[in-house]
Amino acid sequence: MSEESREPRDEGGSAFGKFLRGVGGALVFPLIAIFIAFVIGALLVLASGNNPVAAYISLVQGAVGDPTAIGRTLLNATPLVFTGLAVAVAFRAGLFNIGGEGQVFIGAITAAWLAVSVGFLGLAAIPIVLLACVLTGFMWGAIPGFLKARFGAHEVITTIMLNFIAINLATYFALGPLRSEGIVPGTETIEAATRIPAIGLGLGRVNYGLAVALLAALVIYLLLWRTKLGFRIRAVGLSPGAANYAGMRIGTNTVLALAIGGAMAGLGGGVEVLGVYGKMSIPFVSNLGFNGIGVALLGRNHPVGVVLGALLFGGLASGAQEMQFATDVPLDLSDVLLAVILLLVTATKLVELIIGKRARALASGTRLDEGLGNQ
Amino acid sequence: MDAAPVVLEMKGVTKTFGPVTANDDISLTLKRGEILGLLGENGAGKSTLMKILYGLYSPDKGSISIEGEEVRIKDPKDAVSRGVGMVHQHFTLIPRLTVAENIVLGAEPTKGGRVDMAKAMKDTEELCERYGLRVDPRSRVADLSVGVRQRVEILKALYRNARILVLDEPTAVLTPQETEDLFSVLKELVGDGLSIILITHKLGELRGVSDNITIIRDGKVVATVKTSETDEGELAKLMVGREVLLRVSKEESEIGGVRLSATDLVVKGSAGSVAVHGVSLEVKAGEILGIAGVDGNGQTELAEALAGTRPVESGVVLLDGGDVTKVGANGRQGRGLAYVPEDRGSKGLVQDFSLSENNALKTYEKAPFSSRFGWIFPKAMRRSAAENLRAYDVRPPDPDARAGSLSGGNQQKAVLARELSGDPGVIVASQPTRGVDVGAIEFIHGQLLKQRAEGKAILLISLELEEVRSLSDRVIVLYNGRISGEVGPDATDEQLGLLMAGRGMDEEA
Repeated sequence: MSEESREPRDEGGSAFGKFLRGVGGALVFPLIAIFIAFVIGALLVLASGNNPVAAYISLVQGAVGDPTAIGRTLLNATPLVFTGLAVAVAFRAGLFNIGGEGQVFIGAITAAWLAVSVGFLGLAAIPIVLLACVLTGFMWGAIPGFLKARFGAHEVITTIMLNFIAINLATYFALGPLRSEGIVPGTETIEAATRIPAIGLGLGRVNYGLAVALLAALVIYLLLWRTKLGFRIRAVGLSPGAANYAGMRIGTNTVLALAIGGAMAGLGGGVEVLGVYGKMSIPFVSNLGFNGIGVALLGRNHPVGVVLGALLFGGLASGAQEMQFATDVPLDLSDVLLAVILLLVTATKLVELIIGKRARALASGTRLDEGLGNQ
Repeated sequence: MDAAPVVLEMKGVTKTFGPVTANDDISLTLKRGEILGLLGENGAGKSTLMKILYGLYSPDKGSISIEGEEVRIKDPKDAVSRGVGMVHQHFTLIPRLTVAENIVLGAEPTKGGRVDMAKAMKDTEELCERYGLRVDPRSRVADLSVGVRQRVEILKALYRNARILVLDEPTAVLTPQETEDLFSVLKELVGDGLSIILITHKLGELRGVSDNITIIRDGKVVATVKTSETDEGELAKLMVGREVLLRVSKEESEIGGVRLSATDLVVKGSAGSVAVHGVSLEVKAGEILGIAGVDGNGQTELAEALAGTRPVESGVVLLDGGDVTKVGANGRQGRGLAYVPEDRGSKGLVQDFSLSENNALKTYEKAPFSSRFGWIFPKAMRRSAAENLRAYDVRPPDPDARAGSLSGGNQQKAVLARELSGDPGVIVASQPTRGVDVGAIEFIHGQLLKQRAEGKAILLISLELEEVRSLSDRVIVLYNGRISGEVGPDATDEQLGLLMAGRGMDEEA
């Protein structure tokens, strides 16, 4: 120790220190937001005539109390990592991808169809199917990108519109050409051999889709900060004028960023079908895409933040079930907590009022208008 | 003059933004009928002080008295009601409306709940007559020249009974002749009992118009001098804090062959209308071709068309003899063209990128910054940036610093470091010293002259006549997207002014 302290300016040490400060700075603000949200939540629980301490104990227990609870949390978090990434990548290019929901459906129907068709391949079918989901999600995501680059159509509008098309398209296939004979409306059930296997370890239904999600986060991280394409996407997102000046093509990068986002959400849909449901039943899981927006905001559009944000979302969802079971506090409290957290994370001025200006600097990366202002 | 009553007194005004003290214990007095020059470099704190006076900022410390009464100015509306009028650098007029409509906007005379346009017209006419400002109240602002629009801004303040008029860098958008006109208007106004604060960073301008000059440096008042008892050398020294070379000494250079040329270039502006109408020019090795003109006469579009960031409607651009008209910015850069854009904030730099990322903004696709397989190498970027930042005296020379956290001068040096380090053959420099402190200006001028001595061909676009004249070997004047004439570097203000107003010696364009 003493040797190190004599040379505090050692390059590795200072870089590591910088890294720690960066991580600390990035975490402080969401943590404060979460803390304030729980205080407000406690007041609500109190107002409804319940004991907030008991409610929170059961909430935490339900989220991480035992292997089953942890499993539930991880299972909830897995798809949100994908949809969070879908928003984050686009956001880095200055684009707001509201289309995660539809992109999930596109990936899901792709998986539900292909996994049955190539089911005879067994485990080897899984990477093929997931790759196909990436591909269809990519193409679906490219549509709003193209509309924006070519015609200037705002991606917020087009991605929302495409959600309706995607959801109805997938529903049509699931209830029409691909419908199974079974009682539950939806596609045929995928052979067990073609499903993503469970991890085990007493974690319940948690499967290796979680590993795929973490891998996806790593890939997006490397893409954004270690490749030419990522360099371009970030430059376009932060300053279209400077990117154009440097000879980067804004349109191409717009299409690519939204398409890569679509690929992530599409992969998420595929992982859900192959890992959890084994088919696409109608109604299919909903709101994954929309919750991804919250996950990305909470995670400051950074892949690591997205993973952490997804864990928080997943944990609150599974904890709330336990809480409702153990106390009289309704499930909806978790939604209230999430809403307050997101409000505080995005409304930086509000937090400035609450905790003072110094902390505001830390939150500068989370403001929505940073991405939207450059349009 | 000294017996005139004090109309405005600011005492000990202090304003900090985080760690930065923008105004440090600033005091100034303005007497009735006085024109006070407020002189200082960009970032010295002039604008902050005036924003405090106009109620846009509230001071941390200090007091403001108007007409002997201590006041707290809450917001601009409050300032206006106390007789403070402000003419901003960027006009606040609505182009579609008429002069009269613009003047009464927000303070419209009403009759029975409806806007009384007849009275508005009459009021405006009276106002023009009283102060001898010739403006037609019925004409649309969109049809007026910049000089006249500025007059409308002044009328707007007068309509609201301004007794103290603050003009923020009013001459930045004017030709020398329009500046003369403005100053004679201002003199009439003070003759009528108004008091005026004239903000500027141009030294020469205040002579012959202001009575006194208050000089601000680093947020502090360094001196208040009588205009008649000072000279430009002294003012420059006060403003910068050391002796300054006002004129760059330029050595003879060997002029070679044509390296950059444009023929009959037609370029559209961002609004879709043609901004450059058939400009032809040649820049030779070892020379600096200066382009003078009032802002917005096609300079930006011309520079962008030459650099390849804006498409050309027709015409040809030759770079070292090769046709690059259809080649993009990337390709032209590869062929040895460097481009310093006039707007480092939104073009030259990605503000939220680190200096090392900005340093590689154009070369990130090349070794050693990236591999064939699409990977980039941040470490290599950081190393090269550290070298460049030191060589061009960027402070701090920290490759990980966010570009936006640097001062204007250092940002510009960082742009220059990137553009010039690749040893380009041709340099297009668009307002390279805009909003940059005097120290950085000297450095940038020195760099450009060094490049010239090395036989580079340099196109220098600037709104500062002094800069164009002192650096250039030849000067072309742009007016309305056309070349209105070419002169030598020894051209007088009058000659240049006429060309800048479009009255060319030979209208061959």
